[in-house]
Amino acid sequence: MNVTQETHGTATLFIVDGQVDMHTSPELRGHLRTALGAQTSPLAVDLTSVSFIDSSGLATLIEALQAVGKYGGKLRLCGLSPEVRKLFDLAQLSTIFDLRDTRAEAVAD
Amino acid sequence: MTAHAPDRVDCTLPSHPKYLPLLRSLVGEGSALAGFDKDLTTRLLLAVTEAVTNVIRHVYGGATDRRVDLAMRADDGELRIDLVDYGTFIDPKHIASRPLDDVRPGGIGVHLIKTTMDRVEYRKNEHGGTTLIMEKHAPAPTAPSEAAHPIEEPR
Repeated sequence: MNVTQETHGTATLFIVDGQVDMHTSPELRGHLRTALGAQTSPLAVDLTSVSFIDSSGLATLIEALQAVGKYGGKLRLCGLSPEVRKLFDLAQLSTIFDLRDTRAEAVAD
Repeated sequence: MTAHAPDRVDCTLPSHPKYLPLLRSLVGEGSALAGFDKDLTTRLLLAVTEAVTNVIRHVYGGATDRRVDLAMRADDGELRIDLVDYGTFIDPKHIASRPLDDVRPGGIGVHLIKTTMDRVEYRKNEHGGTTLIMEKHAPAPTAPSEAAHPIEEPR
């Protein structure tokens, strides 16, 4: 897994590439915590190039969602492939997250 | 008609999560051999990942130098995966999963396994640990509806 960070106006965007599981989710969590510590909003995570995510990866995103909520910020996810969307559906998380189709929507103010 | 032998693969891996993609590749191939579609394969990859993650995290306490055995048997429309650990047997009564509507990080792995697999059985094995047996059968084909394929009356 590889994580690239970009700034778009006030938004911080993380572009995730690869598979997110018990092995790789700590790295994603580290990136997100740095942005959460700076109370960044909106915080966007582009999952276009993510082919798989397990409950460890989902837990990382839930933690970020809860943390961003504590300072009134926004977390948006975008670019979910049908396979990854299926995994969100199985965990009944599709309605919990703010899911956007495009990166531009995810980083908008 | 010749007898058809199911495909069987046995492998042993260290309990390091860096091997999870390798296991998923294996299970993905097994799912293809069983004739499962992409949607079902995605679910199987998640279920097996959750099962192995639970062994590493809960049975081995995060130790990455223990042993995990996986035996996979694929046949037409059927996939069986036996996951063997060498830890301490955990009574299935003590393996709990939280409700999904209680949204918080973690604790949904067992739920994801049980909702995907047709058979989930925990057995004490000869090593003192647990063998988790997971089976999946292809969904029964749905009969074409009469509206979609009207039956012509004989003349």
